[in-house]
Amino acid sequence: MLKRGATKKARVMSLEEAVKTFIKDGCMIGFGGFTGFNRNPTAVAWEMVRQGVKDLHVMDRHGSVCTWMLNAVGAIKIYETDWMGWGEMAGKLDVNLERNYKAGKMILEDYSHGAMAMRFLAGAIGAPFIPYYAPLGSDLYNPKYDALGRAGLRGKNPKIPKLKFQEMADPFFGAGNVMLLPAARLDVAVIHVAQCGEKGTARWRGIGTIDKEICFAADKVIVVCEELVPEAELRKNPENNQIPYFVVDAIVECPWGGYPSSVPFYYDYDAPFMRVMDVASRNTEDLKKWVDDWVRGPKTWEEVMTKVGAKRLLDLKADSVTGYSTRIMRGKKPAPRMKMPLSVARSGY
Amino acid sequence: MALIDKIPDEPAKSGEFILPELMAIQIAHQVRNDDIVFAGTGLPMVGIMTANMLNAPNALLIYEAGICDGKTMHVPMSVCDQRAANMSSSLGGLVDTFGFFLQQGFVSLGFLGGAAIDKYGGVNVTSIGDYWSPAHRFTGSGGNSDIGTLSKRVAYIILQEKRRFLERNEYTTTPGWWCWDFKKNEWRPKKEVWKGTPYADSGPVAVVTNMGVYKFDDKGEIFLETFHPGVTVEQIKENCGFDLNVKNVKGETKPPTYRELFVLREFVDAELIFLPQKVEYPASIQKIING
Repeated sequence: MLKRGATKKARVMSLEEAVKTFIKDGCMIGFGGFTGFNRNPTAVAWEMVRQGVKDLHVMDRHGSVCTWMLNAVGAIKIYETDWMGWGEMAGKLDVNLERNYKAGKMILEDYSHGAMAMRFLAGAIGAPFIPYYAPLGSDLYNPKYDALGRAGLRGKNPKIPKLKFQEMADPFFGAGNVMLLPAARLDVAVIHVAQCGEKGTARWRGIGTIDKEICFAADKVIVVCEELVPEAELRKNPENNQIPYFVVDAIVECPWGGYPSSVPFYYDYDAPFMRVMDVASRNTEDLKKWVDDWVRGPKTWEEVMTKVGAKRLLDLKADSVTGYSTRIMRGKKPAPRMKMPLSVARSGY
Repeated sequence: MALIDKIPDEPAKSGEFILPELMAIQIAHQVRNDDIVFAGTGLPMVGIMTANMLNAPNALLIYEAGICDGKTMHVPMSVCDQRAANMSSSLGGLVDTFGFFLQQGFVSLGFLGGAAIDKYGGVNVTSIGDYWSPAHRFTGSGGNSDIGTLSKRVAYIILQEKRRFLERNEYTTTPGWWCWDFKKNEWRPKKEVWKGTPYADSGPVAVVTNMGVYKFDDKGEIFLETFHPGVTVEQIKENCGFDLNVKNVKGETKPPTYRELFVLREFVDAELIFLPQKVEYPASIQKIING
């Protein structure tokens, strides 16, 4: 596992080349962002489907547009996560995932959100495991429910831990029983950021979710960016950068590559489009048609965005103050213009 | 005088509000002014945002994806929505929210949803039927089991049906005041199982459903506190899978006030993302709004 001395030299490459070079059948992979809403590396998942990558072991805190798309073609074999949904208010459950799971086509390993966050933290800092007050009395930690163990997969792949968890009494302070959780270790991490320098230094705006942790927990890191900028520009304000260049392997410039999720200060999420995806997933024929229309049909990611259409992209374009759009219709009524949040206007901070 | 202060804080009458509004306001009432709140996507988020604009302006809202004290202008559709990050105190990631804030013990109120609940407030959001070949497979824990056990007080919003209010869950994602011992096959009090940890006294305090509001007694058992307007105690008992304690019922759930509805409708979910429709205000209230 020792990564010391292995200074990497990131290469700028095309979407196609990055997937071909780093994402292999059966690999353990994690995606950045948060659910289907924030900074999903959608273009990479899209390219993976096109290249027919299969038998993936996805390790993630929750589903996203990426997992939705990979599930749509049955590319995920093992899904180690804590939330199998993807679209929250625009399509909570991944209906097709439930279908694949019930048909015995995939293995689901359940953890919780905090537990997965801690596992990635352990993976990122090079610790073999981490203690966490994961709930005693939850069936998540019922020895009966160890999906990877039941499938006989523990102890073979060196990245799959021998145990799902280990309960232990706190030996230092005597503060009850804690759960030891195994580090999450990935073959590949894929994140989508706002800007990346040509050397690999990366920056996003808005929340960080777990992008930094998954990058450090992975052997190979693909950074997709809205803008490829001179490394020197990012080094003028290094406090705004989150990913140091030396962990990055591939840099892919792909504007709108996070669509239909949002990239704060670039574009908003497309909730109506996500609702259409959700509806399509309810029926295998419709889902196949969706994949043909949106994944297999267009020849490049630019063609996907052209198909989305200029009007929609204008509506999604983020405004420079809030980082999101007030023009996109998310609900049944348009967004009101507001000057100050009422909570602040009423009471200050 | 701001417009909001001119709207009377008097209970609205039947027909002037819809059930999701009543539920959202009931959620808001659970929030105290000094709370640090960690809530999930959906009505809990809407409720706590409403509280932040009314009864609990100093409450600090944490959103799962890394947001501390977001001050929203537009309702977020997700806990990672940039709208929730608006004017926040700090932005981080999951290690911040689950580690620095939650496990560290800062969170005083967790507000969550659930697919099914047991009589001790244990929640299932994972699966119905056999775990390995379920009749229904839901999303799974997400932050439910973390927030639901490590927050000081926890409240849930659940759709009330006989198959969702159970003696014991088929799968417990988040344990309540009693935990099922997998080895001995018996209930054990959380205080005992979690003894020595900083969270032994933390657990569910309230449940809001489409039929009533519930609290928990000293033994950690759920009881009905109020029933929503138009619902009878008898109907509630029929929609409960165990023998529900109705001895401490205080009466009908207080309807939302016009001011609460005004904030919820105009400032929280003006885009009608969570609420199915906008009900018209009575003429006297609309007149005040029109100025």
